[in-house]
Amino acid sequence: MDRKQIALKLAADGLGLDFKIGSFRDRLILQKAMYLVQAAGVHLGYHYQWYLHGPYSPSLTRDEYAVVADRAQGLDDSKGWTLDEQSRKRIEDLRVLVKPRKRADLARDLELLASVHFLITRQQVAKPGDDQQIADVLKRFGKDFGREDVKKARGELSERSLL
Amino acid sequence: MSAACSDSGGAGKVIADPIHGAIHLTQREVQVIDTPSFQRLRGLKQLAMAQSVFPNATHTRFAHSIGALGMMNRILGAARENGIEVPSEQREDLRLAALLHDVGHYPYSHLMEKVDSVVLTEDEVEGAAPPPREIDTTKTVYPRHEEVGRLIVTSQRDLIDAIGGAGHAKTVADIFTRTGSADPQLSKLIHSSFDIDRWDYLPRDSHAAGVPYGNVDIHYVLNNLRVSPEKIVGFSDKALAALEHFLLGRFFMRRVVYYHKTVYGLEEACRQLLRRLRDHYPNKYKIPLDGSAVEKLVRSDKLHSFTDAFVDTIVRKAAKHPGDDEEDAAIRALARAIHSRKPPKLLREVSVYEDRKHHAGTAFLQRCRSDLKKLSTDFSIPLGQFLLCSPKVELVRVPPEYSATQVTRLTRDDVTARAHKEEEEQIWVFRKDDVEPTSLLDFEPSLVSQWAKFFFQACRLYVVLEGPDADDKVLRLRNTVKDWGKS
Repeated sequence: MDRKQIALKLAADGLGLDFKIGSFRDRLILQKAMYLVQAAGVHLGYHYQWYLHGPYSPSLTRDEYAVVADRAQGLDDSKGWTLDEQSRKRIEDLRVLVKPRKRADLARDLELLASVHFLITRQQVAKPGDDQQIADVLKRFGKDFGREDVKKARGELSERSLL
Repeated sequence: MSAACSDSGGAGKVIADPIHGAIHLTQREVQVIDTPSFQRLRGLKQLAMAQSVFPNATHTRFAHSIGALGMMNRILGAARENGIEVPSEQREDLRLAALLHDVGHYPYSHLMEKVDSVVLTEDEVEGAAPPPREIDTTKTVYPRHEEVGRLIVTSQRDLIDAIGGAGHAKTVADIFTRTGSADPQLSKLIHSSFDIDRWDYLPRDSHAAGVPYGNVDIHYVLNNLRVSPEKIVGFSDKALAALEHFLLGRFFMRRVVYYHKTVYGLEEACRQLLRRLRDHYPNKYKIPLDGSAVEKLVRSDKLHSFTDAFVDTIVRKAAKHPGDDEEDAAIRALARAIHSRKPPKLLREVSVYEDRKHHAGTAFLQRCRSDLKKLSTDFSIPLGQFLLCSPKVELVRVPPEYSATQVTRLTRDDVTARAHKEEEEQIWVFRKDDVEPTSLLDFEPSLVSQWAKFFFQACRLYVVLEGPDADDKVLRLRNTVKDWGKS
C-alpha cells in the first residue's frame, strides 16, 4: 500500500465503513463516501468526474482493488499510521452520513448527496440554486430523485458545512 | 528533419527551428509569444537537471512550445494532403493550444509538480519513526501542469488579450486540458501516446542530449496519416515500423536520458529537499504550501518569476541552512549536492524487465526498507541522506488489467472510465482496405503489442555524502549492500 492507499484506508476506517468492494453497491458506497470526505476538506488526492452514477474516480477504483488485494494476503500497511487531527475531526463529523442502515438505502443517500454536491460546486447546472433543475439533470441519468430529495440533500450538505 | 512549416495565415514572423525548419507564426501567435506569461517559458529548462550529464541539454519549454506549434502545423498539412480538411477556426484553436500546452509547467517541470508524491526516506523505512505516523490530508495537492496552464490562460490578462478574449482563451484551454466541451479527437492531437507534444520533444531532446533515439521518421508517418469516417485519427499500416520506432525511441530516451542514474539522483535529491523545506519550514523558504497556494501564485504577477531560478534560489539558501539535528544536516547535504553538482552516489541498482508486480527489484527495495535504519546508524549518516527510488519505464501505457473475478464486478462506470483511458493512450492503425482502424495493441504483427505488458524498472539506493572520507564511506557502503535483495 502506498501513502495514498493508506490514507484511503484510514479515511474509510474513520467513517466506520467496512472496506468492501464485493458488489456494485459496496463500491458505490465507498466511491461516494470518499467523495464527501474530500468535499469536507480531507484531500486524499482523487480526481472525480461525472459518470452514469454521479461523481466517480477511476484512480480510486484502482486503489480500492490494491488495498483489498493486500488485505487478502494479510497485509495492512495502514497500521501504525494516522491522519492529521483536523482531518480525523472532519471525518468524524461525517460519520452521521454513513450511520448503519440498509445497504441499498445507504448507497442511494450517498449517491444523492455526492451528485447534488458535484452539480452545485462544479457549476454543472445553469442555476445551482434551483433544486428542480438539479433534479432534472439527475432524471436524465435515469435517477428517481425528485425536487424534494434534492432540497433535503442540499439541507444536509449545508448542515455539514459541505456547501 | 528539415521540412518547412508554412501556413502562417497572415502577416506574422518566421522562426528557424533545428527540428522542424522554418516555423511560420501568425500575428496572433506572435502576440501570444510576446506576453510575459509566455516568455516565462524561457526560464524553464525542458530537461530539468539532465544538463548536468548531457551538457547541451539546456533547451527550454519556450523552444519546445514553438516546436509543438510547428509539429501541429505539419500534422494539419499532412491531414489536408490526405484529403482531411480542418475548418480554419479550428486550425487556429489547435495551433494556439499546441503553442500553449506547456504554459503551466512548474520550475524544473515535473520535478516540482510531483513534490506531493515524494516519500521521504524516513517515512518509508521501518523503525525510523515511532508509530503512529501521521498523513496530513488538510492540504490540497499541487495541480497538474495542464490545470495550472488552464488557470494561467484563463486568468492572466496579457494572455487573454493576446488570444482574443476570455471566451476564446477558454476554448483553447479546453483543448489542451481535454475538458468536456472540446472535440475529443482534436484534444487527442495535443495529448495522447501519439501527439504533437511527444513528436516534438522526442527529436528535440534527443538532438540536444546528443543521443540518436529520437531520429524517427516523422515524414513517413505524417504521409500515412488517415482519418476514419468516425473522425478517428490513425495511420496506414505501411507506417507500422516507423510508429514502433517512435515508441521504442521514447522508451530508450527515458531509459538512457530522463532516468539516467546521475540525472535521476540529482532530481530525486531536489524533490526530497523541496518536500522537506515545504513541509518543515513553510515560511522560511516560501515554497507554495499546497495546491491552493500554487493556484493563487499563478494567477498573480508572481507567475513571471516562477521559473527554474525560483528553485535555484531556494537551493542556494538551503545550502547554508542552519541547525544541528539530523534533519538540518540532511537538508544542507541535499542542497549542497545539487548546488555544487556533487551528485548522490549510487550504492546499488537492481534493474529488471518484468511483467510482474513482485520481482528482484522489489525484493531489493524491501530489504532497504527493513535494513536502512541500521545502516544509517552504523555509518552515522542521517537517514535523509539516503535516497530510495524506483523509476519505471513502459513501452506504452496500458490501463491496468482487471483479473477475471474483478471483471465480473465492474460497473458501467468502471468500464466507461477504462475505455476513456484506453482511448487516450491508443494509437490507431488502418489495415489495408479497412475503413475503421485497429488499435496498435491488437495488431498482431506488431512488436509493441507483444511487449506492451513488460516494463523496465531501476530500483536504486543512493547516498548523499560530503567531506574528506566520503569516497571511503561510499566504498564501504557499497560493499555492505552488494547482496541486498539477492535470494
